[in-house]
Amino acid sequence: MTPSAPAPTSGTEVPFVKIADAMARRVCQDGGATPMRALVATVVAVGPTDRLGGATEVLQSLADAGTVRGILISEGDNAEPPARVAGNTVALHGLKPRYVNNAVAALRLSSLPTLVWWRGGLADTLDGLADLADRIVLDDEEPRAIWARAVTLFEESAFSDVRWARLTQWRALMAHFFDIPEVQAACAQFTRLEIRARDPISAALLAAWLTSTIRFNEGFAVDVTDAPGGPPVQEVRLGRFAGSDRLDDDQQELMLRLAGSESCLETSVSVRGHRSASRVVSVRDQSLIGVLTGELRIRARDMAFERAVQAIIAEGLPVGPRPESSP
Amino acid sequence: MTGNPLHDGLRLEPTPGPTTLVIFGASGDLTRRKLLPALYRLSHRSRLPAQFAVIGVARSAMEDEAFRAQFRESLREFAGPDAEWDEVAKSLASQMYYLSGETSDPGLYQRLATRLKEIQGAEGVLFYLAIPPTIYATVIEQLGAANLATQPERGWRRVIIEKPFGTDLASARELNQIAHRHFSEDQVYRIDHYLGKETVQNLLVFRFGNGMFEPVWNRRYIDHVQITASETVGVEHRAAYYEGAGALRDMVQNHLMQVLSLVAMEPPIAFTAESVRDRKLDALLAVQPLVDVGDSTRTGWGVVRAQYGAGWVNGAEVPAYCAEPGVNPASTAETFVAARVLLDSWRWAGVPFYLRTGKRLPKRTTEIAIQFRRPPLEIFRRASQTSVVPDLLIVNVQPDEGISLRFDAKLPGTRMQIAPVMMNFRYGTTFGGEVPEAYETLLLDAMLGDPTLFARHDFVETSWALMTPVLEAWRSQPGPIPTYEAGEWGPAQADELIAQDRRRWRTL
Repeated sequence: MTPSAPAPTSGTEVPFVKIADAMARRVCQDGGATPMRALVATVVAVGPTDRLGGATEVLQSLADAGTVRGILISEGDNAEPPARVAGNTVALHGLKPRYVNNAVAALRLSSLPTLVWWRGGLADTLDGLADLADRIVLDDEEPRAIWARAVTLFEESAFSDVRWARLTQWRALMAHFFDIPEVQAACAQFTRLEIRARDPISAALLAAWLTSTIRFNEGFAVDVTDAPGGPPVQEVRLGRFAGSDRLDDDQQELMLRLAGSESCLETSVSVRGHRSASRVVSVRDQSLIGVLTGELRIRARDMAFERAVQAIIAEGLPVGPRPESSP
Repeated sequence: MTGNPLHDGLRLEPTPGPTTLVIFGASGDLTRRKLLPALYRLSHRSRLPAQFAVIGVARSAMEDEAFRAQFRESLREFAGPDAEWDEVAKSLASQMYYLSGETSDPGLYQRLATRLKEIQGAEGVLFYLAIPPTIYATVIEQLGAANLATQPERGWRRVIIEKPFGTDLASARELNQIAHRHFSEDQVYRIDHYLGKETVQNLLVFRFGNGMFEPVWNRRYIDHVQITASETVGVEHRAAYYEGAGALRDMVQNHLMQVLSLVAMEPPIAFTAESVRDRKLDALLAVQPLVDVGDSTRTGWGVVRAQYGAGWVNGAEVPAYCAEPGVNPASTAETFVAARVLLDSWRWAGVPFYLRTGKRLPKRTTEIAIQFRRPPLEIFRRASQTSVVPDLLIVNVQPDEGISLRFDAKLPGTRMQIAPVMMNFRYGTTFGGEVPEAYETLLLDAMLGDPTLFARHDFVETSWALMTPVLEAWRSQPGPIPTYEAGEWGPAQADELIAQDRRRWRTL
């Protein structure tokens, strides 16, 4: 398969030194047609060419909204690749990894945050970007190696991960359960966390977040079962339960499960064998555009993410299926 | 385990603990138009607690299922094009219950207490008085008598009271006294939906989160402030209420005074409810009496009232206020108010705040315009054919929430020509996503126990202390009230009010 080029399909091809001129000219040409917007950030997508095909569309969509400058850099062996400028997006195709941070430094909007969307590549590149970026959102097929590097950079930049962002709703709903006094009281009796997932990395993040935040009793077990197809995580059960559908008197269970349409989550709480709360909530926008838009709203270090990653690096993944391939 | 550590982390927004919302006036307009759609959106954003229920209370006889059907209808009509009768809505509907009865009947409150005991999640109970103001006192007294107002050992009880809070100073004081007999002040949430708007909240951030604006936010740099809240609609279906209220009670006493206090307040020492509300109260206490009896240099008062006549709005012919259904043909209710407000404070001495609000005006907008002084020396007057216009900061409260700054710039070219330019910041486009509706923000804040965006008893009374002399003076003036043509920016007297200071209203 031929990797798709990480360049906007339209726009003007210019040498690197002419990018600023080209962007300014574009603004003048568009004149009143370009709505005046307040800029909020630079978003940089970095990765190997074959991982940037989908990223082009996402970045251009964000940049077209007019509030971010999009920079797309595919790694290669070219020291001076031609740049393609289209509206608020600049694409550099095949740039040598050692020059990536230099290019970002030259092209990012000064005085505004820079968010790096890491789609893979050499881990050394991440070190240079950590100095420049305010946030780095990791999005790698097999992230454990880059997580191990990221752990050493947590003091330099704020890190996140696309998988982690997609777990936000699951985590929020789990947190809601623990607002219920009966659940807080029953927490000490919880013995097991069961996750049905297609993606073991997402399952591991969820499990690591929960077990690194709440101190469960010794012997507490995490069990990840393979659920091929569908979304990365499909069902989470936490509690002290027998495993059957019938609740016994001692059974405590918090359950989150994707509803049939996969746009909703069913939640239920059972305490002392009695189902005390159940509801359905929406999953929220899980598309890459939705996830990155959400990440642009976060400006500080995500300590919960850092704790979860550190736990996985230290303890490894729970037993489960093989890692998923990112879209 | 103390607290809930799973909420730690900025990504997860705060969510209330188990809550039951009891809406008095459940079959009414406010519930259908605002409250039920707000609950739906909060549910979609996962901001409602895991244990949450709604009990609707109203006079109409209705079963739970009929109330749920009303919720569905409300979504269809008022929740916007994206709202669907989806799984989330159905799940929320399944947590809705209904009680019918007379608000004066103690039996209703006994049944309510029983129902609350049956419902999971009634540790926190929020009573919402979406009822006519004339029965606020009755409901509060009955809640107290039924022991529903007392804070339980585990959980909380709060009450949201809609505007208008009283009709004058005496009635507001009386209502506060009744409320305080049964609820402590920290249980009482007097709602003013203007305070739930993002831009109004952003005023605090804009002023006190930035270092560059506050130094010029005073009499030395600001010439005057204009606060406008204009509507294109007429009295619509609210004639019964509006006939007894008028624009001063409906808009100025609450919304405009809240906005004015946010613009004029001194910096709070912390972003806490009491600190912010203390400083807002200070600003209001500094307002000079609005009935301008002692100033011989001015003609009349600092307040102008008028009523709309027939005219054209948005391309349609509309009747005069007096010809609207339900309105007394000889009504003297004002549909327009303009006021010149001065503050006795070091910061604002000599800086007028011009307020105007009205129905059937040409455009629906709410904005705060801060006009800065001209430069002390106009050095470009001879060189440029165009004159320098004063800098202007505009805070758009609605419909297009954002902030704009107008300043002068040189037109490109060899000649010195100056033209005003505008820099715009818009919530809708800059941050993407939906801006929460005011009622979503305020309902959530009340459930979370954050009263920052609600009016405190002393603010309400101070505001009424300013309005009551105006109302009394108007009452003592017999004869017809001035009119303005629907679709115009108010009566000529409003223009004269500001023209006396050699200024003019902004053209919006």
